[in-house]
Amino acid sequence: MSVELLLAVAFVGSLLTYIFGKISFRLREGFAVLISLALVVMISFLYGENGVESFYFSFLGLPLILRINMLSWFFAIAVSALGALSVIFSLSYMRDRERTDFYYLMLLLANASMLGIVFSGDLVSFFIFWEIMSWSTFLLISYSRGPALAAGMKYIIFSIIGSMAMLVGMLSLYATYETLNIATLSTFIPSASSGHLLFLLIIFGIAFVIKNALMPLHTWLPGAYAEAPTPFNGVLSGMLTRMGMYGFLLLMYVIAGATRALNLGSGLLKFNTILAWLGAITIVIPTFIAILQNDAKKLLAWSAIGQGGYMIVGIALGTSLGLAGGIFHTLNHAIYIVLLFMCVGAIQYRTGGERDLNSLGGFIKKMPVAFIGALLGISGLIGIPLTNGFVSKWLIYKTLILEGYPFLAFAALIGTWGCILYCYKFIHHVFLGQLPEKYHNVQKAPFSMHFPMIILSLAILLFGILPGIPLKVINTIGISFGFESLNVTIWGIASETGALNTINLFAAILLGCIVVGLILKAGPKAISVAQEDTYAAGAAIPKDKYHYTVDFYNPLYRMISPYFRDFIDSFYSKLVEWIQNLCGGARRIYTGYVGHYVMYIVLFVAVLIFIQMRWSLW
Amino acid sequence: MQIIEIIFSPLLALIIGIFFLGLSRKIMARIHWRYGPPITQPVIDIIRLFSQKSVSHGRMFTLGIILSLAGSLVVILFLPVARIHPLSGSGGMLVILYLMLLAPLGIALSGGEAANPNTSIGISRKLLLALGYEIPLLLILLAVMTHYKTISIVQIVTVQQETGWAFISLPLLLSGIAYILILPAILGIRPFELVQAPQEISSGPLVEYGGPFLALATIQHALSLFIGIALFVNLFLGGAGNPLTFFLKMLVVFVLSLFINAAFPRFRIEQAIKYLWRWPTLFAFIGLIIVVVVK
Repeated sequence: MSVELLLAVAFVGSLLTYIFGKISFRLREGFAVLISLALVVMISFLYGENGVESFYFSFLGLPLILRINMLSWFFAIAVSALGALSVIFSLSYMRDRERTDFYYLMLLLANASMLGIVFSGDLVSFFIFWEIMSWSTFLLISYSRGPALAAGMKYIIFSIIGSMAMLVGMLSLYATYETLNIATLSTFIPSASSGHLLFLLIIFGIAFVIKNALMPLHTWLPGAYAEAPTPFNGVLSGMLTRMGMYGFLLLMYVIAGATRALNLGSGLLKFNTILAWLGAITIVIPTFIAILQNDAKKLLAWSAIGQGGYMIVGIALGTSLGLAGGIFHTLNHAIYIVLLFMCVGAIQYRTGGERDLNSLGGFIKKMPVAFIGALLGISGLIGIPLTNGFVSKWLIYKTLILEGYPFLAFAALIGTWGCILYCYKFIHHVFLGQLPEKYHNVQKAPFSMHFPMIILSLAILLFGILPGIPLKVINTIGISFGFESLNVTIWGIASETGALNTINLFAAILLGCIVVGLILKAGPKAISVAQEDTYAAGAAIPKDKYHYTVDFYNPLYRMISPYFRDFIDSFYSKLVEWIQNLCGGARRIYTGYVGHYVMYIVLFVAVLIFIQMRWSLW
Repeated sequence: MQIIEIIFSPLLALIIGIFFLGLSRKIMARIHWRYGPPITQPVIDIIRLFSQKSVSHGRMFTLGIILSLAGSLVVILFLPVARIHPLSGSGGMLVILYLMLLAPLGIALSGGEAANPNTSIGISRKLLLALGYEIPLLLILLAVMTHYKTISIVQIVTVQQETGWAFISLPLLLSGIAYILILPAILGIRPFELVQAPQEISSGPLVEYGGPFLALATIQHALSLFIGIALFVNLFLGGAGNPLTFFLKMLVVFVLSLFINAAFPRFRIEQAIKYLWRWPTLFAFIGLIIVVVVK
């Protein structure tokens, strides 16, 4: 099994899906699922392989190189698995829409290009795949037109800025070392001057910061997540955004090397400390903005920005624990955010696209599977013990506290406590709370939606109770970066300064629940009553007149909303407005009317003649 | 041995917590110049509640309250009560912090399934209040963990028993004061009684519970009193070598906070958050800076 075959299957498969779609939609759906599952199987067979393959297509005289190692395998398996689940989820969601052939083509293309990114062994192919990813994503974000087109434009403008920065970095590398092979570069770069290295880290960093939506370059994300078709959110929020994380890992620990990347600068002004602080800011501010959102997808989008901060904080500090936490959090976050977007998708599918939190509610009895998915999803997002999010956050906190960064730890912990507020808002407003009259006949979601939700829910619990499974792989990645090995066991991490044993934790909580449950069962059985049959302390509550979820956090909203607006976005909007005015000014000159241009030319020549006659310069 | 501890420590917590409930009613009554109910009244209430009828609004309604109480019980297994800490080897301070989430979240998920405006208001207040006091609390905990360079609460206690209480050691004094300032909010007593506010939103999140559900909610309340005070005793008053000393330390702290409870009226939620984010946060923040600088 080789990598080029894998990429060929991915790319050709996406094109064939498009062609098959012209024949019959069943064929297209079957083939899309088949291809994406085949990729998962193929990649899982590549586990543990290391290798490099060169192809002399001779693009600018540079070979195209593919390579595989544990880092790329880890990202590839996550990309392909989440991609496959998103394709399955798309089946019923997208069935009755227009341009579905195009949708599947772009979805599979985005997946294939991500696989290309993680398997590329030189920066040229990296860049090419990166661009394919950006453009296919743009086309999918703006799939629904209207506001989606504006969101897509925002995304692609930021993406282009990132790509241009990356291109400059590549040119600089090529001019200095005459190679763009990652393996060769990683032997040259450690001897580069600090100034050049810092330049490279920053210029590539811009591209990755944009993709990972770190503040202050995050503004493309809320619109893009909210407007993209919901099944595509699975791919977009899960791994596509986190290609920025892959980029950072590649840049800092593979190309530059841990020893150089971590000691660049002095005192508080070190590259990695500043990156960690950017991450911390990205945790805190978006978390509070998320609390103020009333749109389910916008809320999840802002939360995704905040969680991206944790990953950056984890990897920026450069300890083996923090690195493991950062990489593990990338995987965990992908799992539960995809699950949560799928829950929103199921609700949208059954309610005709409703995602306003204040108009939903009470879906727990209508869609129990989606509710369990959402419950596990928010548990992971908060990081409640027994879910995967807990382990990775625990690793990050522990690093921050023991390495002596209490203020960074404070930012990270605050993020979690803010997270509880918006997570509860999400689940309460959608699944608990009052069921509006018009949704009394809502059906539960079809199997093609339940299946990926169940798989992801199980993954959350599996990685939460037995975190050793992914941590073993992550530990191998850490060792390949030159970090010391962690004492990983199947149920957690052992160390002198505070161990973690998730099995004991699991047993304790399970036992607690059983004991309390039995005590409750010993009492008289509760009478089951309808949701509206409540005790109102003597006051009559009119039915279906009030919706208690509106303005749920109003006291907080009044306090913090003046401070937690997206000031950066307003700044960019102002910038755009300013440029538009400038261009508007230019447009007055470039009228498009030939007569005016002739007049300009005549005037210009006249001025030249005048100057020549007056001063005889030439 | 561990099995005995696993049974004994929640039981001890339960007894102390319920005793505190009874004691608080008695002391409050005496401050009000009333005679007050007998000190065993909560026990009588719980037994009576178990024989009464109740209603349920669905599965989550039942599961939430179970999760809430189970969460509190598990916290106690990780928390050193004197020298008893059966599960502290499986996770330290961070695990305790996270497990403490289960109780309010369980109640919130359970109450959310009923369509009751009072529950809704109560839960919203509870979550906001928690956000309010968690900010200073996290700063305080970080100061303690940074000072002792460990995330294990057992080690924090052990070091204090060798070198003296954290509260009177100079670097952590401000953090200790900040903890005292937010303790009423953690315990949910006046002036931070706004989550239940019986006269206003008829017990808020608890309004839908009756019979066994209310009994479990009462037990959970007792345990949360225990956890809030035990955490303070462990972090700042050096824990204790035997359960009796531990109990006495807790008793002193609890009675002092009861005086605050008796003397103050209720805050509105905005006032509560403003208070919590002003002085306690400032003290805790300066406390953390001192710890970082001294180190």
